Formats: sequence, C-alpha cells, structure tokens
Amino acid sequence: MAIDQKYIDLINADIDGEIRAADKEALAAFLADSAEGRASQADMQQLTGALDALEELEPPPHLRHVIMNSIPPEPRVRQSGSFLSTLFASQALRYTGSFVAGALLVMSVVGSDRISKTAFDDVSGLVGTIADPEALGPANDKIAVTQNEVAGTISLRSAGSMLVLDFDLVASEEIDIIAAYRDRTIWFNGFAQLESSGTRVSAETGRIEFKMEGKRRYAVFLHNEGDRDTQIDLKFMSGNEILHQASLTYGGAGE
Amino acid sequence: MSKPDDRKLIERCIRGDRQAFESLLLQYEKPVYNAAYRMLHSPEDARDVTQTVFLKVYENFGSFDPSRRFFSWIYRITLNESINWLDKANRLTSLDQEAADKGRGPEQQAGAEEISKGLEAALMTIKADYRAVIVLKHLMGCSYGEIGEILEIPEKTVKSRLFTARQLLKDELNRTGMH
Repeated sequence: MAIDQKYIDLINADIDGEIRAADKEALAAFLADSAEGRASQADMQQLTGALDALEELEPPPHLRHVIMNSIPPEPRVRQSGSFLSTLFASQALRYTGSFVAGALLVMSVVGSDRISKTAFDDVSGLVGTIADPEALGPANDKIAVTQNEVAGTISLRSAGSMLVLDFDLVASEEIDIIAAYRDRTIWFNGFAQLESSGTRVSAETGRIEFKMEGKRRYAVFLHNEGDRDTQIDLKFMSGNEILHQASLTYGGAGE
Repeated sequence: MSKPDDRKLIERCIRGDRQAFESLLLQYEKPVYNAAYRMLHSPEDARDVTQTVFLKVYENFGSFDPSRRFFSWIYRITLNESINWLDKANRLTSLDQEAADKGRGPEQQAGAEEISKGLEAALMTIKADYRAVIVLKHLMGCSYGEIGEILEIPEKTVKSRLFTARQLLKDELNRTGMH
C-alpha cells in the first residue's frame, strides 16, 4: 500500500530538521505502525546522508587572484596606497633601503657591464626600493598570466632612466620565472617585495631569475640609461617544464 | 551564511574598496565555487562561473538591496549563472547522462566512493531547478526559508521541489544500481 503523501512530507521535513513538534508526534505514531514507512524513512536517510557527505572541493589556488585582477581598478587608488607607495611607507623597508643602496653601490663597480658577467650575483633577501613612485606613470606594457600553476599580472613602467617590473602573482607550487633582455647596457638596479621574504631572486647581465610560491608582490628595478627601447622576455617554469612565455616591451624615447 | 560584518564590507565595496571586496571573496569563494561545481559537474566551468559571479557582484553592488542578506544575493547569482551556463552550452543532457550510465549494474554493490560518484552523476540528470534546491539544502546547508529567499519562491514550493528532486535522484540511482 502506498504511503500517504502527508507522511512522506513529514519524513522529509523530519530529516531536514524542519518538522513541528506536533507533526513529529504524528510521524512517530505512523512509523510505529508502518514497516513501509520505516523503510521509506531509512531509504531517504540514506540518500540525504550521501548528499550531505558529498565532499567539498577547494577552488583552484589562483582563482582568487584571477578574480581580483579582473575587477576594475579602484577609483581612489591613491587613498589606499599603491604597492610602491606602500613600500615607501613601511618603516622596515626604509631601513632596508639603505642596505639596497649599499648593494647597488657594490654592483655599480663590478665589471664593465655593471654586474659581473660570470658571477651569479645572489641578491636574495634584498628588500626596498630606490624608485620614486610619484614619478611612475601608467604601465607601458602589461601581461596577464592565467595558468593553473601561476596567475596574475606583470607590468612594466618607466621612471626616467629606471624601468620597473612589477610582479603581482600567485603560484600554487614553487615556480621559477626567468626575465631575460638582450640589451647589455641595461642593468639590474634593485629588488623590492611587500613581504620581507618569500621570493628569491638572482641576477646576472641580461637575466634575472625568481623563485616563488604562493601570493607574492614584488618589483625589480632596471637601470636603462638613455631610455632605450627594450624587450623583456619572461619564461615561467615548473622544474624543466615551461608553463608560460610572454614578453613585455618598452618603447623608450632615447637612442 | 552571511556574516554580521558583510554589510560593512559591502558598504566599503560600494565605495570602491578592493580590500573589502577581497574579504568578501575570501569568505564566499569556496561556497560559490562548490555550488557552481555541483550545478555544472566541471571544475573548469565552475571556475569560470565563479569568476563571472564575483565580477557581477562587484559591478552590481549599487543595485544590492541592503535589507536583504548578502549570501542569498550571491547564491542566487551563482545558481542563475550556472543555469545560464548550462543553457548556453546546451549541456543538460548527453554528457552527464553518459556519466550516470556508467553506474554499476543492480547486481553489484557500490562502495562509498562509487556511491558519491554515482550521486554526482545522478545529480546531473535532474533538471537544473531541482538540482539547485539540492545544492542549497545539502551543500550550502540552507533552511527551507533561506532556499525560498534565494530562489524567490514560496517555502511550500521549496518543499515540494526538494522532495521531487530527491525522488528523482533515488529513481536514477536505482536505475544505475547505485541505490
């Protein structure tokens, strides 16, 4: 004999925790007398139990970053402070700024190409900046990366004889980024990051390598005497696998 | 569910505060992604829909009625976007029916993992309207009243839609030998 729809509704409401006290008593009385009702209840409990047990999934690690990068820019950027302004505002970074200045002085006397061609100058741990954020205009070029392993943006700006590569990325695993440029008159001139650690950087003439994981914001400063045209080729690697390649171009006003 | 400080965050979002938006994103990214995934049964589609949902939220803060709860607004957008996605891609049938048909025969007993996979596949065989109530009830943990608020339907309709959805799921699981 089919179960009265009223009791089917009550069984469902009971399982959902939305049954009224009076109805609960009526349901209990019905179930006590009906083996079919009890079987139906057990059946429904099994189904809802399986539905409740469906595993929740973690969104892709870079999704949040992709979303943040896809929303329009804040109307009052200056009020909340840009990345570079933030770097200047940080007391800790002011202290480390002098360290960077020292490092830059060292680099400026190494070899004719400003940085040794043979040595791999490990500048890991340098934090700070010597660029004036007020002098930085809009990005001259910008790329978006939307790989599963790494996502975000990289922009290229200029400030006089300085080029600034601004990295705003998130990586789900440790990745290497290689930034290469052919113009040997351009030289590495500093590195800054919002965190005091997290991104490792190594530089040699015409090539800078970064190792990063997680959400990172950092900038690299290149000295571009003569404001020359240049192209910076970026390669994103996971081990030996190339995840993504892109280029940033600066069309300078110089020679 | 909506946190008490959602309203403050939304006020800041309306003023263009990206940090506030990121806080909302942090809170709702996972439930939105999971709801989209259960509606679409594809991680890639769920990712795209999640992105669209948050963009729509960002662009439409101005039209959000502050007297309503934020979660009901964002979940409604999520379900609508998922259904639009299905409509556009015309995916209501073959692909997932095929997945459901991969269920084992009645003579075989399914393990917990297979039941879960069978259930996911069975979910894709029922109409999106029915799937939506299942997602809201069993994944998002919404009450009848909250489901009604999100879908803008009376509570009575929520109940009948939910019971029908369960019955359809049971039938499908029986058909594929999973229940």
